[in-house]
Amino acid sequence: MFLQTLVTGLSIGGIYALMAVGYSLVFSVLGFSNFAHGAVIMLGAYLGLALAVKLHLGIGLVLVGSIVGSGILAVMNERLAYSVLRRRKAPSLYLMISAMGCSVFLENLVYATIGSRFYAFPEFFSRQVVQFAGSSLSLLDLAAFIVAFLAILALHVFVTRTKTGIAIRAGVCDMTMCSLMGVNVDRLIMVVFLLAGAFAGVAGVFLGVKYLVYPTMGWVTNKAYIAAVIGGLGSLPGALVGGLILGVVETFVSTYVSSVMRDVFSFTLLIALLVWMPNGLFGSDTEEKV
Amino acid sequence: MDYILSVVTLAAINMIAVLGLSIFTGFTGLFSFGHAAFVGVGAYASAILTYYYYVPFFIALVAGAFAAAAVSLIIGVPTLRAKLRSDYFAIAILGFGEAFRVILENLEITNGARGLPGIDSFTTLPIVLVALAFSVWITRNFLKSRYGVACIAIREDPVAAEMSGVGLFRTRLLSLVLSAFLCGLSGGLMAHFLSFIQPVMFTLVQSTQLLAAVIAGGMGSITGPLFASFLFIVLPEALRVANMWRLVAYGLMLVLIMIYRPQGIMGYQELPDLFRRKISRSGTK
Amino acid sequence: MAADVVRIGHTVSLTGGASMWGQSEARAIDMLVKKINDAGGVLGKKIEVVRYDNRNDAVEAVNVAKRLVSDGVVAVIGPAQSGNSIASAPVLEKASVPMVVTTATNPYVTMDQRSGKVRPFAFRPCFIDPFQGTVAARFAITDLKAKTGAILYDVGSDYGQWLAKYFEEAFVAKGGVIVAKEAFRSEELDYRAQLGKMKGLNPDVIFIPTSQKEAAMAAKQARDLGINAVLLGTDNWGSPDLIDLGGSAIDGGYFVNLADLADPDIKDFVAEYKAAFNEDPVLPNPVMAQDALLMIVDSITRANSVEGGKIAKAMETIKDLKVTSGPLTISAADHNPFNKPAVIQKVDVKNKTFQFVKKYVSVE
Repeated sequence: MFLQTLVTGLSIGGIYALMAVGYSLVFSVLGFSNFAHGAVIMLGAYLGLALAVKLHLGIGLVLVGSIVGSGILAVMNERLAYSVLRRRKAPSLYLMISAMGCSVFLENLVYATIGSRFYAFPEFFSRQVVQFAGSSLSLLDLAAFIVAFLAILALHVFVTRTKTGIAIRAGVCDMTMCSLMGVNVDRLIMVVFLLAGAFAGVAGVFLGVKYLVYPTMGWVTNKAYIAAVIGGLGSLPGALVGGLILGVVETFVSTYVSSVMRDVFSFTLLIALLVWMPNGLFGSDTEEKV
Repeated sequence: MDYILSVVTLAAINMIAVLGLSIFTGFTGLFSFGHAAFVGVGAYASAILTYYYYVPFFIALVAGAFAAAAVSLIIGVPTLRAKLRSDYFAIAILGFGEAFRVILENLEITNGARGLPGIDSFTTLPIVLVALAFSVWITRNFLKSRYGVACIAIREDPVAAEMSGVGLFRTRLLSLVLSAFLCGLSGGLMAHFLSFIQPVMFTLVQSTQLLAAVIAGGMGSITGPLFASFLFIVLPEALRVANMWRLVAYGLMLVLIMIYRPQGIMGYQELPDLFRRKISRSGTK
Repeated sequence: MAADVVRIGHTVSLTGGASMWGQSEARAIDMLVKKINDAGGVLGKKIEVVRYDNRNDAVEAVNVAKRLVSDGVVAVIGPAQSGNSIASAPVLEKASVPMVVTTATNPYVTMDQRSGKVRPFAFRPCFIDPFQGTVAARFAITDLKAKTGAILYDVGSDYGQWLAKYFEEAFVAKGGVIVAKEAFRSEELDYRAQLGKMKGLNPDVIFIPTSQKEAAMAAKQARDLGINAVLLGTDNWGSPDLIDLGGSAIDGGYFVNLADLADPDIKDFVAEYKAAFNEDPVLPNPVMAQDALLMIVDSITRANSVEGGKIAKAMETIKDLKVTSGPLTISAADHNPFNKPAVIQKVDVKNKTFQFVKKYVSVE
């Protein structure tokens, strides 16, 4: 049972990591909690669902479509809800409230128009299971885990090796200085949100395929915040590690302690970390400057 | 007629909770995504007392409010002492609210996620109006006292306030406790009005709605949030708009207010101020 | 309030996860109301249905109940869910308006849990969970030849909690062993931790008294984990989208239901519904809704009044009333019907249908 719990935990953690990365990316560059991330994940899932069901596309094209679509949605989100505040140098709290407003707006818009019915993706990985040492891992979970890992690796390469990537890291340190150095900040922010949206799209499709598609599915991003805090807000490797740790620990708590109280544990962990170890494992100092 | 009365009563009950949050957010400047949990504590504490132990209504109501105040210490002490930056604090209290809901769902005495039906409906409009008047009176007096002035100072500039000798931790905690007390009072009234409570009535969704009323009404104002919260409850009922569109409107409104008018309807002003200025302007012609 | 109309309320889930049943209920009621009105109505007056969507949410159900009371209805049909019914009951009782639920099976719908007494204004035309849970256990032991069983249920559901209890009692009484009883939080969709625990204990059958979407998820995850146990469920599985959501994983699952399309007793109703709406009724709700309506009409007629108390008194003495699902007799002691049958259905993914397996009329 131990190995099975670990395997299950890692597969849950992989999805958490995907969500946490997108969230952490925006946080590191713009310094605020993008509560609308969950809504973009949800929209990515619906988009993928539409592509799979209406156009009968395979999982590969569905993912690509969702990545592109969610990326665009995220950029639009930024343009409409955040850019004005950002240029005005409004406090991050205002951005956060605006994000919360977006999340409520989008989620309920879907609820009111498409409806609250639960939908399932067609069976892409039909019941194929990998067995080893008495534990089972579904092919879907394995694929999700691998994709998550590769995506984050690719992001890491992008951020460290490409010109835009380095500009992003510079922006994380000091956005004003960055723009003084000639970087087009608006374009940079657009790229960041495109990336965050892409990750959201992948996460949304995997969540939808693993479980179901429904308007409130974005709330699972609460776990993404916890994962990001564990790893250290603003750190991308931190988001990956944090996601995996959270997934594994949660599953162990669920299996060996209590499955219904699992979330109390997770949120208490969140609060404890914020109070005593706000920088998590890999985060950098984030004191509010005077 | 019955239906209209019930809508107005619900609006008034909501106004008390919004008033509570406005002390903490509007006047002390700390955003909270978890105040629905305090409403929940008040609702469940008072309901359990009247349902299982047949405690008299008013005693249960007050007990519920104090229970909410006590619970606020659990989240308030560690997070405020740590001087978390504003959005970390908002996330922390969001987490607290969610954890609270799970706990409610798993206790036997709260009947879990299925909810507690059959609570005696002691709440009537006159009682709520008295409670509302009492809440406004407390709030005004608190804000005029040196504690209240300290809160406002902290909202404007925490560093300067601290340097002027204001105890950041103590003042913020006091503000939180008072806001939780009012939210708990609101919860107790609500439980005995709806006759039925469920943990899902006290989550992030409701916290966001309270916050929306405070922001839309205006930070630093008492009448603004009161007016906004009344509008938020009465308007959808008057237009018979389905609940989901109401939430769509809330969300959109939050975004628009942040972009175009972050100070809300009555930012830093009170309703009488608007009239006073008109009079004085015409007087000095 | 027009004096030549009898208003009957209908609280129903037109949106939300249970909407397929709810919409079918609404159609069935409208179909029958038209027939009754064409034949002269009740007490010489036409029936007018006042319908509100409770969105399968208990808080909204309470709101709807209050609105129906202020709209002046003489009786209410619905809700269909136990949680919503238990929440609505005190409101309607206070206003002396009889409530006849459609498919709510929890015993506490007609009985107040705190006092242990029957609710004077609550009635139902369907069987209750002790029966349903017991039938499931009987089927598991005698037909599925199960020796060990496990239970996965929603800790936040009145329906699920009590069904789990009754199944366990009956299963153990018949010589079975329950090796695991795991709960999950409402709205949770990932049960791999709970199922992982069950896997090692090797149950022959897993009882999952949940809604169709949760059953679908549990089935998928159980199969992914390599669990081969037979999956057994209850009437909330019976929504048509169970197969869409569960796919091949839910194939071969069994569940208890209140009615089956192949049942000869409801043949006429099914044909009539199909002719009017071009699709099968989403059982069992529309049948139960019509039963509830007929109970109300009969009680009003025999009491010769639309006053709530008189209707309730008449309803307590319903005997061999011919309703859509067969003859109905109500017990005055607990307001539940005597001897309502239960059917076992098998999920057939290939033909996208629920196969009739067996019918139970009473438990020994």
